[in-house]
Amino acid sequence: MAIIFCAGLITLPAQVFCAPPAAPDIVLGQAEMCESIENYQPVNPAVVFSISRGELFCFSEFDQVRSKTHIFHKWFKQDRLIFTMRLTLSPPKWSSFSRIQLRDADKGPWRVEIRDPNEKILKTLRFSISD
Amino acid sequence: MEQVLYSLPGFRWQDALDIFLNAYILFRLYVLFRGTNVFRVLMAVCLLWVLHRSAGSMGLVITNWAMQGVITAATFIIIIVFRNEISAVIQPRNLKSFFWGIPRHQLNTPLDIIIDSTLELAEKKIGALIILPLKQGVDSVIKEGVPIHASLSREMLTSIFWPDNPLHDGAVVIQGNQITRAGAILPLSHKRDLASAYGTRHRAALGLTELSDALVLVVSEERGQISLVKDKEIHPILQTKDLKSILARHAGNEAQKKGLRRQTRELIIAASACLIFTSGLWYYFSRGMETLATQEIPIEFTNRDPKMRITRASASDVKLLISGAKPLINALKPEQITVKLTLADYRVGINTLSVTRKDVKLPPGIRLKSIDPAQVEITLDALMEKQLPVQPNWTGRLPQGYVMKGTRTIPPDVRVMGGEIALKEISTIFTEKISLNTLKESGVATVELVLSSPTLKIKDRESIQVQYFISKKSGVN
Repeated sequence: MAIIFCAGLITLPAQVFCAPPAAPDIVLGQAEMCESIENYQPVNPAVVFSISRGELFCFSEFDQVRSKTHIFHKWFKQDRLIFTMRLTLSPPKWSSFSRIQLRDADKGPWRVEIRDPNEKILKTLRFSISD
Repeated sequence: MEQVLYSLPGFRWQDALDIFLNAYILFRLYVLFRGTNVFRVLMAVCLLWVLHRSAGSMGLVITNWAMQGVITAATFIIIIVFRNEISAVIQPRNLKSFFWGIPRHQLNTPLDIIIDSTLELAEKKIGALIILPLKQGVDSVIKEGVPIHASLSREMLTSIFWPDNPLHDGAVVIQGNQITRAGAILPLSHKRDLASAYGTRHRAALGLTELSDALVLVVSEERGQISLVKDKEIHPILQTKDLKSILARHAGNEAQKKGLRRQTRELIIAASACLIFTSGLWYYFSRGMETLATQEIPIEFTNRDPKMRITRASASDVKLLISGAKPLINALKPEQITVKLTLADYRVGINTLSVTRKDVKLPPGIRLKSIDPAQVEITLDALMEKQLPVQPNWTGRLPQGYVMKGTRTIPPDVRVMGGEIALKEISTIFTEKISLNTLKESGVATVELVLSSPTLKIKDRESIQVQYFISKKSGVN
């Protein structure tokens, strides 16, 4: 079984701008499943990962964050919820990630749902863990 | 008494029919055989049967065994010894008299014709023997003779006893307004103190009255003397008025009225006795032998919403412990018992239904003791459709240095039909396993979809296309 054990916080340069009143509080820019994270960027994003890698990351970058808030990374193996990670976002831009450690029993189809504080799905990342 | 009252609510119309039918059969047997020796012997056999049952219930083993043997033997003896009497009762009867006719004894006998004929025979010194059977009848006593069934008339009666007539030596039997038999041979009395003035006719008349309640008129051939024989006694008739009065008393108009009332009363008492006896017998068999039994009955679920279906039930049938009369329990078929549970107020999901006495329908006379299980858990599901995304299920390992950058399924999602509960648990439809082992460049694979539950069905299609994009890992040549 995968063990999700950390969440990263990456501070990005502040940028001041005015959003229209109807604009959402957070805007998801990029979201990838990747082998690692270097320099605040995902390394080797893919949809199939070998168990031999030992770990796997879900990277999410938010272009717009109006106020301090939080999001969720929900990891599902097939349709079974394995783990929920609560990640804090700070204005004006923020990137965050969650990670799992891979074990042999984790092979199969997975998905990660990135959800806003209201549990609204912002993006679903589908991938497989194979040999 | 309390037990009798307790059993009444379970009284069925079949029980009433059972009692009345058997009471009527018993009553008919009484009507047909009353006054005969068979009837008296049958009563004795009934008494023996009561003794046999009593001995059995008291645990008198030898008495019980002996009574059983005696009853069996008595049954054969009755048939053999009284075969003539039984055939006399059964043979001459038509269906009407057999099933609902009630023979009445000597109610319409025209006495004047008999008196006139007797006086004429006496005057002419022609010997005669005239039998008027009363309550008991004479079929079991009189043997032989010629059945006549002729209308009674003075001419007919006198001509039978006319000396040259072949039947003149025997007796004549008169029933109602008919001469039923002539030339009948009667059993002779063995009485030793009979006066020498009396001959064979008187001895025969006396012999008959010793064995029945019949009234016999004897006309002496030698003296022209008329005698009336009744209840083993000979009454010489000196005057015509005496003959009239005695005949009228026993079989005449007054006697007819009294006899009719008496017979009606007797029949009512007999009918009541038959009814009471049969009711007692019914109670003995149906209530006296209370027994317990277990029946396994399938549960019928009713008033189900047509859109819903039962996907699981903790029990499909219930065990009912029932009690009732042994014959009723033995005759009981599972189809006669129903257990119906209504699903009108239940919704999709797991529901717990209580099985109560109201849900169990039993035939009359059968009582419910317990229900096992008392609760049934059922899962109800409703058919629905859901649009679900398709995800490839990769297996194996990509060749070294290759990475799968992305996939696209065509179509991206499919419509799935199935139970609401099953579909609620599913948010993705996966493909069959697709091997990665040989993939080195992008391409398209046609694969089947795999459903997690057999109750689910994909609408319109079973297979889809998976487009995959493979490239070399950065930094690998």
